[in-house]
Amino acid sequence: MRTQRSFVRCGVLAATIALVSGSVSAQNRGGGPPGRIGGPPGAPPSPKVAALADLTGTWVSLITEDWRYRMFTPPKGDYTSVPLNGAGRKVAEAWDPAKDEAAGEQCRAYGAAGIMRLPTRLRISWQDDTTLKIEADAGTQTRLLHFGPSHENHENGQDWQGLSTASWEYPRAIIAGRGAAGPPSGGALQVVTTRMRPGYLRRNGVPYSANAVMTEYFVRLDVPGGDSLLVVTAEIVDPEYLATPYWTSTQFKRQTDAAGWNTTPCAAR
Amino acid sequence: MRGALTENAMKQLRAVMCVCVALLSATLFGQQPAPGGQPAPAIDMSGYWTPVMHEDAFERGAGNEIADYGGFALNEAGRLWALSYDPSRVTLRPHQCEGYVAPYQMRSTGNFRMWEERDSRTQRLVAIHVYGQTTEGHRIIWMDGRPHPPAWAPHTARGFSTGRFVGNALVVQTTHIKQGWVRRNGLPGSDQTTMTDFFMRYGEHLTNVTVANDPVFLSEPQVRSNDFARQPVDHGAWLYACDDGEQILDRPPDYVPHYLFGKQPYARDFAKKYNLPLAASVIGAPSMYPDLPARLRALTNPETLFSPASGRPSETSRAVDPEPRDGQIHIFPIRNNVHMLVGDGANIVVQTGEQGAFVVDTGEGKLSEKVIAAIRTLSANPIQFIANTSFRSEHTGGNAAVGAAGQDPSLPGSFFINSAPRGVTGFFADPLSHATMIAHNNVTVRMQAAKAPEGAIPADTYLEERRRKFHNGDAIEMFYMANAVTDGDSLIHFRSADVIVAGDIFTTTQYPVIDVKNGGSVQGEIRALNEILNRTVFRHQGEGGTYVVPGHGYLSDEHEVVEYRDMVVIIRDRIKALIDDGATLAQVKAARVTADYDTRYGSNKGPWTTDMFVEAVFTSLKGGGPATN
Repeated sequence: MRTQRSFVRCGVLAATIALVSGSVSAQNRGGGPPGRIGGPPGAPPSPKVAALADLTGTWVSLITEDWRYRMFTPPKGDYTSVPLNGAGRKVAEAWDPAKDEAAGEQCRAYGAAGIMRLPTRLRISWQDDTTLKIEADAGTQTRLLHFGPSHENHENGQDWQGLSTASWEYPRAIIAGRGAAGPPSGGALQVVTTRMRPGYLRRNGVPYSANAVMTEYFVRLDVPGGDSLLVVTAEIVDPEYLATPYWTSTQFKRQTDAAGWNTTPCAAR
Repeated sequence: MRGALTENAMKQLRAVMCVCVALLSATLFGQQPAPGGQPAPAIDMSGYWTPVMHEDAFERGAGNEIADYGGFALNEAGRLWALSYDPSRVTLRPHQCEGYVAPYQMRSTGNFRMWEERDSRTQRLVAIHVYGQTTEGHRIIWMDGRPHPPAWAPHTARGFSTGRFVGNALVVQTTHIKQGWVRRNGLPGSDQTTMTDFFMRYGEHLTNVTVANDPVFLSEPQVRSNDFARQPVDHGAWLYACDDGEQILDRPPDYVPHYLFGKQPYARDFAKKYNLPLAASVIGAPSMYPDLPARLRALTNPETLFSPASGRPSETSRAVDPEPRDGQIHIFPIRNNVHMLVGDGANIVVQTGEQGAFVVDTGEGKLSEKVIAAIRTLSANPIQFIANTSFRSEHTGGNAAVGAAGQDPSLPGSFFINSAPRGVTGFFADPLSHATMIAHNNVTVRMQAAKAPEGAIPADTYLEERRRKFHNGDAIEMFYMANAVTDGDSLIHFRSADVIVAGDIFTTTQYPVIDVKNGGSVQGEIRALNEILNRTVFRHQGEGGTYVVPGHGYLSDEHEVVEYRDMVVIIRDRIKALIDDGATLAQVKAARVTADYDTRYGSNKGPWTTDMFVEAVFTSLKGGGPATN
């Protein structure tokens, strides 16, 4: 009887150590050294070290979808395929680029919910161990993706790029320790962006509001024998202007150098 | 004391065991995968999926306008092919039911269903099935590590796919895709396309990214992404019935709707309608990148994009060579008891059964011993009949050796043995040491004129439209195709197996070798291709069913034949239009009338060049006389 209880206790201890070990180990995957590198002793590795994919480098957008809407400014009122509600349509129909210019609002199409869809190059780098920086040459914009709490002061609707919170994601068994533990690399970066200044999903005034929440999944795909791609799947939920969540997936190709990088100011037309 | 020590010892032992078990468990659950080694875990993609049409809704719904090719890395051939396209082409019977090819199907509007196939004994994942509602496109992604088929295997609309999990993605490689559209306004995807696609699942959302490599029509890989939302209920309505029929009556059989180069009436409408620079949507790969405005500014004359560039040498084929060229003979089973042998020049077909083997064509003759050995692995009975589709040496080069390895037990004691003129048909006198060789009479005449070895010349000939034979349980028909690529071509149809051997009337490797000097003509070639189409029946959505063995290239069905027929008709029409305008042969060649097909079939060297093909068409349209410059 005592022996049975001992083995039960032993099993519980074993499972606990295993789960803790598995969890720590899984966080280390992605080629980084295990343990404490990137943080204080005893702390989990930093997001930079624990990165499941290397997203850094220069990426050029491949405008192979919604080409006419993204490469050129579409006519006013052309919001084909965007699930605008009545209020959203009303705003889109009232688009006036001259008004935006006069109000100093030329960057409305360059906010976080629009910038990734514009023809642009991205320069992605680690600003520090917990912040991934995305610079776009179109409109000379910078997005900061914070792993963990941001120390920046973000007020709702004050910043084109809003507040972005990031985490590495990959499929795991719903019950920890059951099933496969997870891949060694290639997971997605999940980014949730809030507090954006109201802007445009398309340059012709298709709107999103300050209440919009954007969830993005960044994934790097290495084509066998070919290019490396960055694909950003985005869901935008905007109770003010969208009737349903708006989904897009946007692709970029990795460049081996910074050729073509050309910062330009925002343009309202 | 002894008991206490024992109890302490037991405690220590339990503690050590506990730590050991814990460490072992930690090792197992938290195990680091071997570097670059272990496959990622399977991700469940199964369920009902509805396309989220928040991108390219117009393309995927109503369909784009002509010349809306923006965002596509079209090369010159792709652009010209698309500009030549007339949507009325889908009114032609063989085009009416065509399924969507893999790169396009993932963008189609219909719902999808995905499910896993597992081995019932081991529960290992064998395949992931993707079933598209539109055109009933059933794609199988093999997950069991099986290899892709050889280059001479048939192509299908969905192609042959193998997959593996990498990170959080299902990565799929697809080959053996048919030619088809990649956009509904006629943008072509060639049969040389290979595709890598990725499936990523984010909760109830699925993103699919396709990377299509098409050396024929694209200058760089085409990347597109498609999104799907998971549905909890069966969509129903999974069928997409299609049966072709007469849509427009009284059109001649050699009519294929298309526009001559530079004559596409809607080429400029798209740019005009949306106030875009004329060249923006037809410039090809630059249209995909942020630098497009600069590239457009550098273009001095956008009108040049609507016709073949002048003064440029013709392109050559970028297609994979489907012939193995490894000194071996490869056997590919077609259907029932009919097989294709690949490796010695033209394709060889062997039908086997209770009687002796019936062989169609014997190859170039360089590997005849291996051909004979391959046939013997298929049939213990002797080679009884050899039928030739043509007199050309790639088809008859092995006649003597393969014929000599056979015998025709139906002949001894027959009337023919005693009456055949030995000088011409020597082996009739000794039927037990030679197969009987059958061909149209012109094959025999041409081979005699070329002083081919006596034992290589078919003696059993026919003169008019049909020769027939019931052999090995199948009805075999030979049809004379007058003045197609030569004046001695035959189609051979195994009716029960439903396999047509086309000889050089149809190949997947080159422009038809229309040998005007030996009686070939473009009109006869088109007639012959249409004759094949008159006899084919597709199995499902324009593919499968009747197999067609090309003279050279991969095993095909009516889909490849109709694309080839369209190509010959379109090029003929272009040359005819120039002739009608008074053009000389030199002017026709300079017009690059094959510019949209050269990356698939063209050649600037070897026995059959693009120039020779153009000249053959020109000559036969001019009445068959010698071409004049």
